[in-house]
Formats: sequence, C-alpha cells, structure tokens
Amino acid sequence: MKTLGIFLLSAALLSALETPGSRENPTARSKVLELAGAFANDGYKIRDGYWSGVLEPGKPQILAVNLFAGNAYWFSAAALAPARKLSVTLFDEKGRPLEGELFQDGSTAAAGLLPDASGRYLVRLELVEGDKADFCLVYSYK
Amino acid sequence: MSFRGAIFSAVHALFLAGLLAATEPLTKEQIQSAILTETVTIPTPGEFFAAMDEQGQPNWTQLFSPASAGNTASREQMAFMLGVLVADGYIAVEAQDGQGVKNTGKDIINLAKKLNVSQSVLGRGNSINDFAENNDWTALREELEATQNEVKLSMTEQKDKDLVILVTVGAWIRGTQAASGFIAKNYTPGLAGLLRQPAIVEYFLAELGRLPERMQQDPLVAEVQQKLRDTLALVHTKDRTPPAPEAVNDIAATMSSLVNDIARGNKES
Repeated sequence: MKTLGIFLLSAALLSALETPGSRENPTARSKVLELAGAFANDGYKIRDGYWSGVLEPGKPQILAVNLFAGNAYWFSAAALAPARKLSVTLFDEKGRPLEGELFQDGSTAAAGLLPDASGRYLVRLELVEGDKADFCLVYSYK
Repeated sequence: MSFRGAIFSAVHALFLAGLLAATEPLTKEQIQSAILTETVTIPTPGEFFAAMDEQGQPNWTQLFSPASAGNTASREQMAFMLGVLVADGYIAVEAQDGQGVKNTGKDIINLAKKLNVSQSVLGRGNSINDFAENNDWTALREELEATQNEVKLSMTEQKDKDLVILVTVGAWIRGTQAASGFIAKNYTPGLAGLLRQPAIVEYFLAELGRLPERMQQDPLVAEVQQKLRDTLALVHTKDRTPPAPEAVNDIAATMSSLVNDIARGNKES
C-alpha cells in the first residue's frame, strides 16, 4: 500500500509500452490485467475469477465481495472505448464509503483497501465520462 | 501514450486520489441491488489462508491431512469432494509440499474425469505438476483457482450447472475446517474474526435452496444445508465481533464431520 506511487507509475508505464496482440485488439479483460499486473509486481496475487459486463452512463454497478482483515486488496477495472473515464469506489456492508487508495487514469481505475474487519464489502463501478462500454473488474490480494 | 504522458498521468492520478475522497453513502436500494457472482464474490481458500498467515502463522504441514474420496456413484458427492480436494491443494501449497500438491492435483483430475469434464481441464493436471516441480507456489495458487473455474465452466457447458455450487461449498467447508481447527487450538479474537463469514454462508444456503428438488433430497446435500444453517447461527455475530471460543470449537466440529461425510459419502446417499 505504501508504494502506491510506484504502482501507479508502473501501471501507467505499462500502458505506454506497446504489447502486440493485446494492444491491437484489447479486450476489457486484457486491459484490466495490464493494470492489475502492476500490483502483482508488489506481491499481490490476481484472482482468476473476474466480473465483466456492460457499463452505461448514470447506471453504476455494485458488486458484493467478502474480504479478510489482515489481507490487502486492490480492485482494478477497465472499460473499452467509448468509455473515457471510470471510477472504482469501496463501501462497507452498510454502504458507508471507505477511505482507501484510489487510482484513476482514463478508462482504467483501481481502489485499494486494508479492511479492518472480515466480512462483506461493496465495490461500485461507475462510468464517469463516455458512453456505454464493455468493462471488466478483477481483484488482487496479499 | 508517450513515457512523459504516462508519468504525467500517474502524477495526475495521485492527485485524484485526494479529490475523490468525498463520496455519498450507498442507498438501501443500491446495497440490495449488489451483484453476487461466484467467481469474485466468494473468496478462494488461498485468500482465507493468506489472512491466517498474517495473524497466526499456522503450521500448514500439520494442517495438510488430505481427504481421500471413497467410491461413489453420486455426482453430488463427487462435486463436493472436488471442492474439498481443491482446498487441500491450497493447504499443500501453504505447506510448500510439492509432492502433496502433485498428489492432490492427480486426485482432482481423476475425479473431474469421472464427472466427464472437458479435455481442457485435464491439461491443468500437467501444469500443476510442472509448477509443483519448480516450487512455484504463486503460480500454483493461480492454477488451482483456474482449474476450479475451468471445471465449473465445463460443468455449466455440459448442463451440469447445478453441481457448480457444490464444488464451491466443498472447498469452503474444507478450508473452514482447516482454519477453525487451528483457531480452536490457538484462539485470538483476530483469528476468530476470520471465521465471521455470514454473507458467504447465506449465499451458499440461498444457492443450495435453488437446486432442483431431486438434488435437495440427496442426503448429503440435505446434511450440508442443515449444518450450514447451524454454522450461520455461530458466525452471524453482532457488530462484527468475532465468534467466541465455544463457537469456534463448534464450527471446527461441524466442518470436520462434514468433510468426513463428504469423503465417505453420506451412508444414505
């Protein structure tokens, strides 16, 4: 968590590097895995499971997750064009927003959390700018 | 994007972190609309064990006591057992027991064959062996989850979708058995708090309740449902307080009896 700046820089640099194949025809999943890869470099394990679908302006989607105190988490999301700006926000089970670390860069975004109690949490994914687009969310833990 | 642009974006993003701090709480309707998707909403045994490592440093070698599947023709039992074996695989990874991982991987693939899963799943067995050979524990954790997800996908494609939840429940039961057994002997509120998972148990009960009547009448499925209901009462504590030592003992006993019955097969199955 303390090395957020390094993560963000790595993530942005990764997206600046040309990677043939994924660059030519990226899917929302390949795009989000690029972002999550930056966290993996700091020991975070990326879950194989993912959440994907279509995100529309003004219609945020909310996902329930179950987290453990003692672990650190990053929730990474990406959307394809015409999405232009995405946000990921974390809430406790009662819907109260949680303070954590946030990353936002165009149509990729991430939120990090060190939960102080085990249990259910909520992840809100919102299309802030742009039009209806495919999205994918993965999470990493360590 | 140029490198300069990338660096600018990163710095810009850092500033945004501060600006995005003020957020309205979710409404009741929004909370109720939350999506539950098994592959993301339900944590892997690996996540559970990582949290235990942070708080208790268990001796995983002692906790690795792999269950062996008895012969059964019951697809329900085989699906539960597949989940148990996946959790065993995670325990073997935590114990850094390469041979244990290989043996468990072989058992997973053999059981998956009996359930007629696709050829693509069978190839996972080779990957598990290769990663175990190289002591690549991180890759093994990912491979175990990927194998489990591929088995579930194959079940869904073969119109065996109803078995998918049984695999997930089996893995959770075995993971919780290992965890609660350790916590019962080394109780701390922090460790016991990891067992407080009412939302997961509620999700399982809801999904098991949606199974076809025929499956719900299977004695093992019925037993699992009943014991999950008992467990829910133990883990549904007020204000996120951890389960008491007595409750942890009860959870450990319940999970052990379930793992035994899954491995042996409920005598009425």
